[in-house]
Amino acid sequence: MLKIEDLHVEVDGKTILKGITLDIAAGEVHAIMGPNGSGKSTLAYVLAGREGYEVTKGSVTYKGQNLLEMEPEIRAAEGVFLGFQYPVAIPGVSNIYFLKAALNAIRKHRGQDPLDAIDFMKLSKEKAGLVQLPDQLTKRSVNDGFSGGEKKRNEIYQMAMLEPSLAILDETDSGLDIDALKVVAEGVNALRGPERAMLVITHYQRLLDYIVPDVVHVLIDGRIVRTGDKNLAKQLERDGYSEVRDAIQP
Amino acid sequence: MTDSSPKTLIQSLPSSFEAGPEWLRLLRGRAADALRAGGLPTKKTEAWRFTPVRSVVEAVFSPAEGDALSVVSALPEGVTARSLREVLESEPGLLDGRLDFAGTPEHFAALNTALFTDGLWIDVPDGTAVDTPVEITHAIGRAGVSYPRVFVTAGESAELTLIETYQGETVGGLTNSVVELDVGRNAKVSHVRIHENAGMQVGRVDVRQAADSVYRSTVITLGGALLRLDVRSLLDGKGAECQLDGAYLVEGEDHVDHHTRVDHRAPHCRSNQTYRGIASGKGTAVFDGIVIVHRDAQKTEAHQENRNLLLSDTATIHTKPHLEIDADDVVCSHGATVGALDEDQLFYLRARGIPADLAHAMLTYAFLESIIDRVGHEPTRTRMREALIARIPHGDEIREVT
Ligand SMILES: Nc1ncnc2c1ncn2[C@@H]1O[C@H](COP(=O)(O)OP(=O)(O)OP(=O)(O)O)[C@@H](O)[C@H]1O
Ligand SMILES: [Mg+2]
Repeated sequence: MLKIEDLHVEVDGKTILKGITLDIAAGEVHAIMGPNGSGKSTLAYVLAGREGYEVTKGSVTYKGQNLLEMEPEIRAAEGVFLGFQYPVAIPGVSNIYFLKAALNAIRKHRGQDPLDAIDFMKLSKEKAGLVQLPDQLTKRSVNDGFSGGEKKRNEIYQMAMLEPSLAILDETDSGLDIDALKVVAEGVNALRGPERAMLVITHYQRLLDYIVPDVVHVLIDGRIVRTGDKNLAKQLERDGYSEVRDAIQP
Repeated sequence: MTDSSPKTLIQSLPSSFEAGPEWLRLLRGRAADALRAGGLPTKKTEAWRFTPVRSVVEAVFSPAEGDALSVVSALPEGVTARSLREVLESEPGLLDGRLDFAGTPEHFAALNTALFTDGLWIDVPDGTAVDTPVEITHAIGRAGVSYPRVFVTAGESAELTLIETYQGETVGGLTNSVVELDVGRNAKVSHVRIHENAGMQVGRVDVRQAADSVYRSTVITLGGALLRLDVRSLLDGKGAECQLDGAYLVEGEDHVDHHTRVDHRAPHCRSNQTYRGIASGKGTAVFDGIVIVHRDAQKTEAHQENRNLLLSDTATIHTKPHLEIDADDVVCSHGATVGALDEDQLFYLRARGIPADLAHAMLTYAFLESIIDRVGHEPTRTRMREALIARIPHGDEIREVT
C-alpha cells in the first residue's frame, strides 16, 4: 500500500530525513519509535502533504501512485489520514460541520453522493460513541478549548468518520490517561482490516499492548536504524535508545 | 438643485437658511460657514490621509429623490419613529438643543446638517425596553447624493436594538449619512450597521452616553467603491460602557475606511473596540481608532484591537489604534496585527479533505464571523451572517458548515 524509498527531506535547508525506506502492506500495522527530534513528525507531515518540506531524494508510492505529487486534500480523498501530534484549534469553524464538508468532499472525489444531514448525524453519533467523545464537543469549534486528551479523541473520532485506508497516527497516545488510551486503541482497532494499513508513531510501548503492531521501526536522526517485531518495542522500553544508538555508532 | 460635486456645492450654500425653525436655520448656517471656511477634506487633512477623498469631493452627483430612508420592521410597542421633517414642522421647538448634540460638525457631516431634508427620529421613552429590533434601510435606487439623517433618543433605562442597512447596487451614488444616538442614564442600545452598498458612502455616528448606559455598535462593511465611517462615542456619565466592533471585507478596488473615537470624559467608564478586516485584490482598508482619556476620567478601562488579514500582494491595510491619556489611574491596551491566513489551520482542513479554496473561504468567514458572534440578538446575527455569506466564495457550502 505504501512504499517509501530512500526518502531524503530538508526543512529550511536542514536535512531532517536521511534516507528512509519503508514498505507497508495492506492489513499491516507498523509502529515507529524514536527519540525527540529524530524526524517522526516530519515523516508524517511529508506523507500528508504539508508545505515547507523539500524532498531532495527518494520516492513515495501509495496504491501505485506517486503520493508526493498530490495536493493534501487529494491524498485525504485517496484515503490518507494524519492524526496530528498537536491538533490546531480553529475558532469559528464547527467541528461537526467541517467534518461533514470533508467527508462529502472525499465522497465526491470517489464519485459517491453526499451524505445528507440525517445520515451524517447518525454516523457521527455512532463514531463519537466509539471514542466516547461527548456530543457537545463534536459541535464546538474545531479543537477550540479542548483539553489535550479531548483533542486526541477528536482525531480518532475524525478518523473513524473518514475511514481512511492509510492512517498515520502521530503520538495519538501522548497526553492520554489509561482509560482514554484504551478507548483510543479500541477506536483504532475497530478500523483495522485487510484493506487498511496504519503507521503508528509513539514513545510508549504501552500503546502497543493495545494496538499490537506487525512491525516496529526505530527512527534515529532521520534514519531507520532497526526494524523488528513487537518485542523490539519492549526491549526499547527496557533499555532505552542508547543500546540501539551504540550499535549503529560503534 | 442641479448636478454638482460636493466641492462646488459648498460654494453655493446659502449664508442664511430660509426654512424651518430658527434654531435649525442657525445650525445649518453654522455648518455652511464651517464648510465655506474650512472646505471639505483633502489628502493633506490628517484624518483623511489614507482616504482617496478627491474621488468623492470632485465627483459630480445628481440630487437623489428624497433620502430613501425607511423603517422596514414593525415598530415594537412603546417605540416611536417619526419623520424629522414632520416633527420640525409640527413641533418646531421639540428637538432644539437635542439634535446635533455633538457640536458644530465638520466636513461631510456639516454638509448633511446643512442639507438634510428629512430623516427619522426614533425615540424609546424612559423605562421602555424592547427586544424586537427596529430595522431601518437606506436604499439608494439610482446614482444620486442623499443625506440620510437619523436621530435616536433612548430614555432612562430604555433598551433598544437598532439595525441599519445601507443597500444599493448603483455604483455612482453618494450616501452622506449622520446618525446621532443620545443614550440616557442606565439605557442599553445595540446598534448594528450593515453596509452592502456598492456606491460611495461617508457616514458619521455620534453617540452620547449618560451614566451607567451601555452602547454596543457592530459595523459590517462588505465592500464599497469608497466607504468612510466615523463612529464616535462620548462617555459623558460615570460608569458608562461602550463596545465598538466592526468587520470589513475589501475586494477588487474597494476602499473602506473605519475611524473610531471614544472620549472617556467621566470616571469608571469602560470601552472596548474590536475591529477585524480582510483585504484582497487591489482593495484598501483603513482602521484608525483613538481613545482619549480626559483628565477626570479615573478608573477608566479602555481596550482597542484591530486584526487584519492581507490576502493579496496588491491589497493594502493601514491600521492605527492609538491612545491619548490624561488621567493616571487607568487600564488601557491597544494592538494591531496584519497577517495571512494561518498555515496550520489551512493544512489541517486540507489534510481532512477540504479543497484549498473552500478551506480559505471557511477561515476567512470564521475570522469575520467572530465579530458577528458578539452580537446578542440571534435573528440579527443570522441576518448579518447571511450578508457576509453572500460576499464570500463558496457561500452555500459555508452556510452548510457553520
Ligand atoms: N520548520 C522547521 N525548521 C527547522 N527545523 C525544523 C523544522 N521543523 C522541524 N525541524 C527540526 O526537525 C527535527 C525533527 O523534528 P520532528 O518534529 O520530525 O521530530 P519528532 O521525531 O517528531 O520529535 P518528537 O518526538 O519530539 O515529536 C527537529 O530537530 C526539529 O527541530
Ligand atoms: Mg513529533
